[in-house]
Amino acid sequence: MHPALQAETLYIQHFRKKDEARPLSYYLEQMQGYTALGKALKMAPDAVIDEVKKSNLRGRGGAGFPTGMKWGFIPKQSPKPKYVVCNADESEPGTFKDRDIMRYTPHLLIEGMIIAGHAIGSKIGYIYIRGEYTREAKLLDQAIAEAYSKGYLGKNILGSGHDFDLTVHRGAGAYICGEETALLNSLEGKRGEPRVKPPFPAQAGAFSGPTVVNNVETLANVPFIVNRGGEWFSSLGKVERSGGTRLISVSGHVKKPGVYELPAGAVTIRELIYDICGGITDDKKLKAVIPGGSSAPVLTPDEIDVVYDIEPLMKIGTMMGSAALMVVSEDYCAVKLIKRITKFYAHESCGQCTPCREGCKWMEDILHRIEDGHGREQDLALLLDIADNINGKTLCALGDAAAGPVSSFVRKFKSEFEAHIRGKKCPNV
Amino acid sequence: MSKCVIDGREVNFTPGQNMIEVAKQAGVEIPFFCYHPGLTIVAQCRMCAVEVGMPGKDGNVQMMPKLQTACSTAVAEGMVIKTKTEKVLKNQKSVMEFLLINHPLDCPICDKAGECDLQDNSYKHGDAYMRYTEERRTYVDLDMGPVIKKNMNRCIHCTRCIRFGAEVAGIREMVAIQRGNNTEITTIDGRALETDYAGNYADICPTGSLTLKGFRFRKRAWFLKKAESVCEGCSKGCNIELQQDANVVYRTLPRTNLEVNKHWICDEGRFHFETIHDADRVLSPAVQGASGLDMAAWTDAVVKAQGALKSGKVTVLVGSDLSQEEAQDLKAFLAKQAPQAPVYHFGTPGVKTASDDVAADALLKRKSKTANLHGLEKLGYKPFDSLPAGSEQVLVFRAGRAVLPDLSQAKSVVGVGVFLKQEAQAFQAVLPGLTWAEKSGTFVNHDGREQKFQRAILPQGQSKALSEALMLLANQGTGTGAA
Repeated sequence: MHPALQAETLYIQHFRKKDEARPLSYYLEQMQGYTALGKALKMAPDAVIDEVKKSNLRGRGGAGFPTGMKWGFIPKQSPKPKYVVCNADESEPGTFKDRDIMRYTPHLLIEGMIIAGHAIGSKIGYIYIRGEYTREAKLLDQAIAEAYSKGYLGKNILGSGHDFDLTVHRGAGAYICGEETALLNSLEGKRGEPRVKPPFPAQAGAFSGPTVVNNVETLANVPFIVNRGGEWFSSLGKVERSGGTRLISVSGHVKKPGVYELPAGAVTIRELIYDICGGITDDKKLKAVIPGGSSAPVLTPDEIDVVYDIEPLMKIGTMMGSAALMVVSEDYCAVKLIKRITKFYAHESCGQCTPCREGCKWMEDILHRIEDGHGREQDLALLLDIADNINGKTLCALGDAAAGPVSSFVRKFKSEFEAHIRGKKCPNV
Repeated sequence: MSKCVIDGREVNFTPGQNMIEVAKQAGVEIPFFCYHPGLTIVAQCRMCAVEVGMPGKDGNVQMMPKLQTACSTAVAEGMVIKTKTEKVLKNQKSVMEFLLINHPLDCPICDKAGECDLQDNSYKHGDAYMRYTEERRTYVDLDMGPVIKKNMNRCIHCTRCIRFGAEVAGIREMVAIQRGNNTEITTIDGRALETDYAGNYADICPTGSLTLKGFRFRKRAWFLKKAESVCEGCSKGCNIELQQDANVVYRTLPRTNLEVNKHWICDEGRFHFETIHDADRVLSPAVQGASGLDMAAWTDAVVKAQGALKSGKVTVLVGSDLSQEEAQDLKAFLAKQAPQAPVYHFGTPGVKTASDDVAADALLKRKSKTANLHGLEKLGYKPFDSLPAGSEQVLVFRAGRAVLPDLSQAKSVVGVGVFLKQEAQAFQAVLPGLTWAEKSGTFVNHDGREQKFQRAILPQGQSKALSEALMLLANQGTGTGAA
């Protein structure tokens, strides 16, 4: 057994109990439920933020932004109501960790949100949940009803004088609504399109009020931090600047796919695939790893001895994103894979800004052509140029998400692309 | 006054000013499509992206790694803006390519050609070659009502029309449906446009996607000569441009005046120019004959008018659509020629005096449908109520827009100015005059602003300026060569 698997975990032992872990009674008895809330309400809001800063908790949605700092940006005084919004859209392909939190330990999220509300001075929270998560939305509604009945939500929580109301808002199924400003637009009933920044949500977010938007896992970590201290949480992480554990969604051609919980930065990708997930299906060879959701540039087998955390991955030109590791074995066509990924981004582009709207579809069309055996020699240079023209030039990160994988696939699997073009068909078939 | 540096030159700016405007002031053009000074900033087209840097604490300028859109970036003291670097130019080229891959490139049959932002920017910043070989995106267009013709294939998704409807016209009728590459800009449920300001959709469209049904295919933009004018549709005094070729006005466009109409005009004002060339307009002198009102020589018409003027029982009605200069001349003329005659101004039913002239909608329109009501009041003209007892003769001066009151009690009516045949059917004589497009002058708008307008075209037919007609009247048809 890999030593990382013996480290302390926060979630996974409860996830294993499945439905048994969900009720409020379990949460209260087995997980010190709502004790952190009581403790936090007695603390000054700034003290809560300081504790989160100390914890080195970084956003679990993809960008890895320090949570405490994000909360610190919220102005103390505001003429408009402030909001805590939980991004439960979990739309990055390959990511399915937030779903388990909402399914099995929904009260962690609820408690985390109430504490966040106290920290930034907000009385209203929304959980913006992915439209496809119908079951989780129902479970959250039930858990929220439980919390209301016990006085953890509503007016004058636990006699502290602090109020907090929480509502679940279901999306209608759009990847872009995982982008925080598009999420806020959608929450307000508008078209799910990212907004121009600045102003950032911390200044003008939901309904123009100061808003903190956090991922499910990020908020669910908060009760642990308040209960056991930021320093303890920080010490869980094995690399500098990353505290706590990470829920990792592993999918693709591995023997044991699923959600894993490991200390932040405890393993390399190789260890994760071979020691923890049992290696590649049918003991085939590894072809590629997409380390952070489908928007992360691809890694080849010779690049996987990298520590699986934010900075090390950034250094080699990819990203950890939402910690969704996708493993591809040798008998899967790289062209087909990147075409499928690009088709997704072309389909999910909101269409408001030029490079993403026009460029993603163009890349998809070219990739489609290459896969069908109608590629041309100049297509590869063209793909790289289109990707370069999109990358960093769009209104939100979706353009980058589409362009990064394309250029990494074309560069790293060039011979496979060329084989498609010259052979006029897919060599893997 | 703060300072920034654009392309190596120090430029003054006022904090809060838009970067595109600051650059424009300094003579540096930053190309754009979705930006419009009268609408919110969306930074969608990405054409205006430039390199931006700020001086650090050590005084060295730190350039931002990514391009920043000029429309949405606030200019700051000491900011360094570079608009011509390789990175910027490559982005402009790339945005042009992206915008054109699905554009039909049908400029030869597109009515926007010659005044098209997409065309102009393509020439300036695009590439002559296209690398796109895939199938182009096409749409099916639904009818958008009488004002606007839509061609979605040409659309570049700048969303100016959506924003104009929601933010300016106050009606959310244009929307984006679908998403990504399939995004379509359309009306809700494909309905016809409802706003009275629909013409502006065509003005702000940076390509030939929204064009005016009334103008398209009538004249190429480059043939049109422009005259700065003021709308005479109501007392708002919106600044407009009349565009003509060979003495025919083809269209009206708004001129920007942030203190009056900003960037917009209403459809009523936009299409009012059509009355200039109304087939029923009386364009030659006419007198009442055996078979009704008939064409005549100027002399005959002048004699008839003199008869009315000298009858001693004349009432003079002055349309509040006359220019300030005309109204002044007329006042001086009447003081000499018919000092006893009662003189009244008339214009819009229900709007007798300036105090009745209130806003007719939330944007531009005013109740008074004549342009110079406030000017005439300033000159001391009294409002018309009803014809005084014993007034047998009525002399009407009018420039075309003032609504004629009921004159059925009068024994004889002589009209000087702009009349339609059906209006003047019972008149004893008509001395044809000029519409505002055929003369220069001044209108005083609802808040007292005096605005000059320039002549766009020469007088139509045999019509004469009011000053000339008055001269003929005063000199008994002997004073000028026209007699």
